[in-house]
Amino acid sequence: MIIKGGIVYDPTNGIFGEEMDIFLEKGKVVEEAKGKEIDARGLLVMPGGVDAHAHVAGTKVNTGRIMRPEDARSGLEPKTKLLRPCTGYTVPNCYAIGYRYARMGYTTVFEAATPIIESRHTHEELEEIPIVDKGALTLFGSNWEVLECVRDDDLDKLAAYVAWGLRASRGYGVKVVNPGGGEAWGFGTNVKGLDDPVPNFDTTPREIIRGLVKANEMLNLPHSVHLHTNNLGKPGNYTTVLDTMDTVKDITSTRDRQVLHVTHMQFSSYGGTGWRDFESEAPQIAEYFNRNDHVTMDMGQMIFGNATTMTADGPLEYNNARLLHAKWSNHDIELEDSSGVVPLVYGRKMPVNAIQWAIGLELALLTESPWKTLLTTDHPNGGPFVNYPEVITLLMSKAKREEEMATLHELVAKRTVLPTIERELDWGDIAVMTRAAPAKVLGLAEKGHLGVGADADVTVYDLRPEKIDPARDHKRVKEALGRVKYTIKGGEVVVRDGEIVAVPRGRTYWVDASVPEKDAERVQVDLVEKFEKYYSIQKSNYMVQDAYVTDPVVVKAGVI
Amino acid sequence: MREITIVPLQEFEVPLEAENIRPDIFATLSLEEIRDLEVWEGNRRRYLSDLFSVAGNDGTGECLIRLDGDFSRVKRIGEGMREGEILVRGNIGMRAGSGMRGGSINIEGDAGDWLGREMRGGSISVKGNAGNYVGSRYWGERCGMRGGEIEIEGSAGAYLGDHICGGQIKVKGDAGDFPGASNRGGAITIGGDAHLPGAEMVSGTIVVKGRARVLPSYGFQETAEIEGQLLWKFVGDLVEKGKGELYVALVEDDGQLDK
Repeated sequence: MIIKGGIVYDPTNGIFGEEMDIFLEKGKVVEEAKGKEIDARGLLVMPGGVDAHAHVAGTKVNTGRIMRPEDARSGLEPKTKLLRPCTGYTVPNCYAIGYRYARMGYTTVFEAATPIIESRHTHEELEEIPIVDKGALTLFGSNWEVLECVRDDDLDKLAAYVAWGLRASRGYGVKVVNPGGGEAWGFGTNVKGLDDPVPNFDTTPREIIRGLVKANEMLNLPHSVHLHTNNLGKPGNYTTVLDTMDTVKDITSTRDRQVLHVTHMQFSSYGGTGWRDFESEAPQIAEYFNRNDHVTMDMGQMIFGNATTMTADGPLEYNNARLLHAKWSNHDIELEDSSGVVPLVYGRKMPVNAIQWAIGLELALLTESPWKTLLTTDHPNGGPFVNYPEVITLLMSKAKREEEMATLHELVAKRTVLPTIERELDWGDIAVMTRAAPAKVLGLAEKGHLGVGADADVTVYDLRPEKIDPARDHKRVKEALGRVKYTIKGGEVVVRDGEIVAVPRGRTYWVDASVPEKDAERVQVDLVEKFEKYYSIQKSNYMVQDAYVTDPVVVKAGVI
Repeated sequence: MREITIVPLQEFEVPLEAENIRPDIFATLSLEEIRDLEVWEGNRRRYLSDLFSVAGNDGTGECLIRLDGDFSRVKRIGEGMREGEILVRGNIGMRAGSGMRGGSINIEGDAGDWLGREMRGGSISVKGNAGNYVGSRYWGERCGMRGGEIEIEGSAGAYLGDHICGGQIKVKGDAGDFPGASNRGGAITIGGDAHLPGAEMVSGTIVVKGRARVLPSYGFQETAEIEGQLLWKFVGDLVEKGKGELYVALVEDDGQLDK
């Protein structure tokens, strides 16, 4: 297949808006190929989109669906000869997730958090999400075995357990949510800072983060530790984040990537001492990123309207439910973590929500390098992923930002610096934030670019970058971003003129990391005891079998 | 006012979905166009004229729809209507007048479940009985009915005015279990008996002129006279720190209620 004459943005290979042909063969980008031609003359062409953080599969997503029958009243699309029926907005059904990503030109999605014990369910749902390639990050931040290894300062055993946990969950990377807090929540408390001890374990969040980051690098994993910070969602939490990022500064990454990814930063960039004097500290965070290269973040942009918050941060969801008098699900995940789900509505006239909205944009606009700020909404916590076109146009158009700000609570002008920001991102920046950077941050060598050997995932937008000014024609741009001209996945046209035309199965990435046998054996001794004494299921039933990952891409890693 | 009469051509075995039977949709259409409106019979798409005889004035303008016959298997009549009138000489099916914002629906027979669900304005009257979930919300929503009036001469089923946030419901007969649950500002009057009214009520009023079992999370305040009848007045639901008012004529007492 040949994609002819597109205006190509491929930041990984230093291509920013050059007219060129792209050749695809056997699911890969190649030097030269024959076959079907796709006329992309003058149209915007990018690699397929990569979402590095979204909650799209697993028990908490399903809990959201169960708690929100009303959500399934929206987003209804009847079945067709090709497509299964779709429902939902914040918690869509599996098919809708795949179709909607494809229609926006996304071809890869990573589920942001799965406890090992719930991973079979996560994979059952991932299997049902069509078209896109996917993977899942495994939760380790409040896991008993992790806490014990960190307490005993036994990094070899910790690395061996992480390797085993990734295999057991068929997971791709190490996710850490409010480290120690998930365990503390089992006793109705939380950890309030990096040095607050975890109940019954003689360790602290700082030690957990450092331990897991070191283990992650020992194992040479493709992705870094993926962290949801302590104190997330609380006024004044930006100091915790700055401290967290500093605490891993001395650890060197064993790969060409960050040593820590701090996720949905919008929820961690808050100033003030309470909700009354709540304000943005995004400039401080952005400045840290401008001075340091060892960390990356994603926006976690907030979208007005309905959202369903879901996280392994159990105490956070308790606070949300109390504050908003909303529906609340609370879940204890045995030895591994806690979690909660709370639906909520972000209102334009609510001062806190208006400021949150501005913070996400400030982070992306004040951080100079787009390689450090991935575009996400923390779907569906900040808002559903279908709003990415909205976020992109906000970043590209000051006029649009001003239009939006005029509809918000006036405190947005006093408690944030957004109104003073002139910067408007260009297509190169957007291609980085939605493709090149997420792939690099995740360590996916064959995603997010169009160099020879890359996966044949390509997006062709119905936009002429040389003729349209996104700063002015943001309405037209948003529309085109939501309904792409073509999405090509693995060399196959899956979307044409905004309609799905083929529904291939996506593949699932997971990481198989090797560790020295003696460490693996020491972990097994611990696990036998834990399963006998504490777990509700047998160890033999614990591991996700290959039958649950029918199209795997196994990435090898391990102790060097 | 322009009048259109619709009569079923047969007894329906499979339920129909007929959200197009709506005066404000009819108002802009000729008789021929009305006959061509879409109706779903189970999973089969039909035209209105396949299943009903449609007669009346041609031309356009504000519309009175007469439904003559048994419509108890026809769902979603008058859904979302904003103006005009529907007169039903017979029974009507589920979800009649749900989400309606204006106009009126008058039913001479019985109404099915979900009558006036999430309605915001207009009025509905029923000569017979109504089913469950009158003026309620869809599962999971925060608000049921927000405005308008529903009057039922007979009795209503369970979950009358569930999550009601505004508007008025009057039932002359009995109501089933849990009327006015999570009331947040609506007014419900029940002429007969009810069971456990006002669970999780935050504000609004519920009047039960017959017998009712009152939840233990209600606090007795005083006696009050409403329309010449002496009633017990309670405030609650205290579980929600609610300030809703509950009036009951005869309190079913299992000996635990302290009043």
